[in-house]
Amino acid sequence: MTEPLLKVENLRIELTTRAGVTPVIDNLSFELGHGENISFVGESGCGKSMTALSIMGLLPEGVGRIASGSIQFHGEELTTASTERLRDIRGNEISMIFQEPMTSLNPVYTVGEQIAEVLRAHQGLSKKAAWDMAAELLDAVRIPNAKSRVGDYPFQMSGGQRQRVMIAMALACKPKILIADEPTTALDVTVQAQIFDLLRDLRRNTGTSIIMITHDMGAVAEMAERMIVMYAGRNAEIGPVDQIIDRPRHPYTKGLISCVPHIVANLTEERHDLTEVPGIVPSLQEFGKNRCLFASRCNLRTDECLRERPPAREFENGQKADCWHAEEL
Amino acid sequence: MSDTPLLKVENLTVRFAVKRGGGFGKKHFLYAVDDVSFEVAKGETLAIVGESGSGKTTAALAVARLVDAYAGEVDLGGHEILHLEGEDLRRVRRKVQFIFQDPYSSLNPRQRAEDVVREPLLSLTDTPKEEQQKIVDDLFAHVGLRPEQKRLFPHQFSGGQRQRIGIARALATQPELIICDEPVSALDVAVQAQILNLLRRLQTEYGLTYLFISHDLGVVQHMSDSIAVMYMGKIVEHADRLSLFNNPLHPYTSALLSAVPTVDKTLREKSRRILIPGDPPDPVNLPKGCRFANRCPVAQDRCRETEPDLKTVKGGHRIACHLVDHTAVSPL
Repeated sequence: MTEPLLKVENLRIELTTRAGVTPVIDNLSFELGHGENISFVGESGCGKSMTALSIMGLLPEGVGRIASGSIQFHGEELTTASTERLRDIRGNEISMIFQEPMTSLNPVYTVGEQIAEVLRAHQGLSKKAAWDMAAELLDAVRIPNAKSRVGDYPFQMSGGQRQRVMIAMALACKPKILIADEPTTALDVTVQAQIFDLLRDLRRNTGTSIIMITHDMGAVAEMAERMIVMYAGRNAEIGPVDQIIDRPRHPYTKGLISCVPHIVANLTEERHDLTEVPGIVPSLQEFGKNRCLFASRCNLRTDECLRERPPAREFENGQKADCWHAEEL
Repeated sequence: MSDTPLLKVENLTVRFAVKRGGGFGKKHFLYAVDDVSFEVAKGETLAIVGESGSGKTTAALAVARLVDAYAGEVDLGGHEILHLEGEDLRRVRRKVQFIFQDPYSSLNPRQRAEDVVREPLLSLTDTPKEEQQKIVDDLFAHVGLRPEQKRLFPHQFSGGQRQRIGIARALATQPELIICDEPVSALDVAVQAQILNLLRRLQTEYGLTYLFISHDLGVVQHMSDSIAVMYMGKIVEHADRLSLFNNPLHPYTSALLSAVPTVDKTLREKSRRILIPGDPPDPVNLPKGCRFANRCPVAQDRCRETEPDLKTVKGGHRIACHLVDHTAVSPL
């Protein structure tokens, strides 16, 4: 196997709250290959976005910090990199698009100015060259009449178009990794399909690796080769997408797949109750305890789940599940 | 579609005045719901699906008398309700209740959970006090909340539990029709199943009729008996659950269905994605002809000329598309 593009090892991120210090990311390891698309799945509060922010060096200052572990990009350690070096990497080598295309653009600048700013800051382009490039980028993300739209303000665009502008900005410097944090949650399904299509094409043409954060198993199945299911700051399951959907080895993954009514090829009169995952994600005070944090919601719970944190069990093709009962599933 | 509809909506139109241009500009109207008709049989669920701006929520609000209709009729259990006022309207409000999308902003943060649930009894009925408490206690048990949670405030509950409070409130006046406006879209996926199962259980238990507003076709497929698809204020297709999902006729419905990401591998490989380009047209200056024509993959000249009527074809399937005839074959 060649050297991975991104290698995260035993990452632990601590968050300081009034209740004390809690590990919001607890011993997370994964690798991202060149041109690979990996997805993070889980409910809100499981640490998906926190992981993304730590890779970008954007953890909230004074509140969150990387306590131990390493993040290596191209062999370069990011956890100890200087602020200047991180700023250089952000936007240039690793860039990110956010969930809310409405609030992540500045309303008082035209979209062209906002895209050009990235190019001028990172690539030292002249004002004119950056503006022309901005128009080209808008065209690349399939905004019709890109040349005339480049002078538009964000409010003049639809939600889907704004997300395209965000993607254009993120791709301006041809990054190696694009982190997409719930890129389509705020959008309609037909627009979501357009954005997914665009991301797939861009990846094919530029070889950019994509880390997509989502709660939608369907989106994972369409977009990614591998997935990481996170629960309460920990890895629950990791492995190839199709293999996991066929046979999840962690009860949480299984719950996430079967609790959603999916569209099927041939609908019949039959309707079953949906599988419920009872309860909710544990509170931050529970994070970091030496036991299975999913146990309270799990129907396979036994004594050992409450006694000790489950180790990763390995299966074929690199599928791993942190569950005492993984073999039984 | 059935013998005795509980709810019958005819030619419902809701319009809003919008300002365009300078102060002396002509007044323009946005027709959020444009000549919409449908029926819901007692005990059944009609889902209205569509994307943002399609008019699905506005239609529901008009049925509940929460926005004023510009034209049309809404008939509930044999009585026209759009013109009711005062005590008559209060009586109707008892029969039509609403479950809102956002369980955070739809509960008064200063009311205790039991007071939230009691509120409709106070404002809409003359239930004696002792009886009120019994009803509230009962409802708490039915929606899966514990008795000791009655005295808590909304912020002390999780999203799913808040939605349970919202459901209990909707049930308080023993309504016949409950309008569920995106009841699970603000909830985490694992919690959605809990609420959807609860809604289905309550429907059988109380013989409820649901008008279910959603953009999530997976959820709709699970919850509904029939489905109306809205686009730019119009119903473009309306059919029972099996016909709509197994034989969608309108190109927009097909595109909508094919756009949903799915874990079903055979479906993903089998169905080719119908990508519809662009965005919906400006709702104030609608183009002439079919409203979907500018994004439709099979649009012809006549689609850009005349607007198609909603006609009934084979199997009671209603469809507004020039390219579908009575044989009910998809033009795609």
